[in-house]
Amino acid sequence: MADVALSVEGLYKSFDPGLFERRVDVLRGLSLEVRRGETFGFLGPNGAGKTTTIKAITGLIRPDRGRITVCGLPHARLEARARTGFMAEQPYVYNHLTGREFLEFHAELLALDRARVAGRVDEVLDLVSMAGHANRGMRTYSKGMQQRLSLAQALLGRPELLILDEPMSGLDPVGRRDVRDIILAEKARGTTVFFSSHIIPDVETICDRVAILVDGTVRAVGEVRELVAQEADAYELTFVGGAGGALRTPLLASHEGSDAWWVRVSGEHRDQLIRELASSGARLVALSPVRSSLEEFVIRHYEGGGR
Amino acid sequence: MRAVAAIAHNTFREALRDRVLYLFLGFAVVLLASSKLFGLLTVGDEGKVIKDLGLAGIQFFTMLIAVMMSVLLISREVDSRTIYNILTKPVRRWQFLIGKYLGLLATVALNLALMTAVLLAVTVVYLGEFDAGLLFAAAMILLEMALLTAFATLFAVLTRPMLGTVFTLAVFVIGHVSEDIWVLTKHVNSGLVRPLVAALYAVLPNLERFNFKSEVVHDVGISSGEVALTVAYGLAYTAMVLVLACARFRARDLV
Repeated sequence: MADVALSVEGLYKSFDPGLFERRVDVLRGLSLEVRRGETFGFLGPNGAGKTTTIKAITGLIRPDRGRITVCGLPHARLEARARTGFMAEQPYVYNHLTGREFLEFHAELLALDRARVAGRVDEVLDLVSMAGHANRGMRTYSKGMQQRLSLAQALLGRPELLILDEPMSGLDPVGRRDVRDIILAEKARGTTVFFSSHIIPDVETICDRVAILVDGTVRAVGEVRELVAQEADAYELTFVGGAGGALRTPLLASHEGSDAWWVRVSGEHRDQLIRELASSGARLVALSPVRSSLEEFVIRHYEGGGR
Repeated sequence: MRAVAAIAHNTFREALRDRVLYLFLGFAVVLLASSKLFGLLTVGDEGKVIKDLGLAGIQFFTMLIAVMMSVLLISREVDSRTIYNILTKPVRRWQFLIGKYLGLLATVALNLALMTAVLLAVTVVYLGEFDAGLLFAAAMILLEMALLTAFATLFAVLTRPMLGTVFTLAVFVIGHVSEDIWVLTKHVNSGLVRPLVAALYAVLPNLERFNFKSEVVHDVGISSGEVALTVAYGLAYTAMVLVLACARFRARDLV
């Protein structure tokens, strides 16, 4: 357990939409584990249960069944919450406060050492590039600026586990790059980052591992490379000698180079081709799966292909 | 307790920066100033009219602030989801609710103090007397508002802002006629209705207990036993309503 930052086991949650309507099952036995220090992407189509899962982890809703631990502690314990930083999907800020007052308020909630609050607030303001706007009322902030402040309050307590719900939605390209850099800096500091996102290239760039959530259950989990490799439905082979291009195995494509042949074959015919090459005396130089992108992989799962 | 204090401070600050508050305050000041005019138009003791109207105005405007601000500020925190940032910190739900309550009560108390100061100033200027009894009557209004704010907090947790406001206003009105319900039990002969009406009387708050306006205006003596009983009643009832609000809020999903 020591190397697990977040553990979710058999999580169920349903909601009662009102009189004369059937309960809606949102989470159906969801389980996942996030290792300490890793950046974990949480992907899923709209309505898959991503935000519900995050709300259950952060204690905003109570699961019907299941067990959640944060850094080995039951998630409802205050010690667990003190180790967690959370940024919601929308930046929920107070219009009556300035950016600095907002962070000072959250520093009090975190019971940070009062002598160090001002310094820490300045640090996180710098980190999210908001130092120049800290004394302005938050009602005058753009959505991007509110988003940065929302991230700042999540970072304020130097959390061990940082939970970010769609941290890059609504940000311009500079803002996205900044948030990406902050996440990478937190990872370098040893912080575990758990974040949900719709922006798959960001997930692909930042995450060590991802989980794909569909209909309230985890459909796939693993390293990005590993997941797309599992999905590979074609292989590329390079070989020298043998029968050259005159192969009996059906090929998807072939090309003769200066001293070697390059061919693409479906997964179904890969072993047949390898046997044929061996029997013909050809020497296999390279064999690699043709990677589909994470985006293609995810879309296949969203559309039910991963079931 | 730092979390409770921080939430209370934030609520107090939000209320003070909310312009609605100053509107109520403005109305109150105008009313208090106009009590001199009512005094002039009334045959009899001008001083009694000024004090009576002034205390009634203080009670009315403080009630409006307590009801409107309480329901509004708690619901706003939930509806605008700023509560997400708070409850995902090491903060218990009851700490949030009690912090909100104390912040609201501090707002009500500040307004009541300001209005009482205006009334005292009016009596000193127009009547040439400083009536300390007004401070006592104002303190009892504060106790009543503490209970009413607790109800507003409970309704803010249970229902939507509009309904919460209506229910809290209903508690205020019913609370001032609950003694009539007691009288009603003596006139009802039906075996089933009578215990029901009696139970209703037992459950509903008796806000008239906090009304010492007549005693103060007419300079009637009040026993310390009665005051102690009223304070105990107010504090116990307030605590009970807040416990109910916290229990309900503890089980609530914040979706």
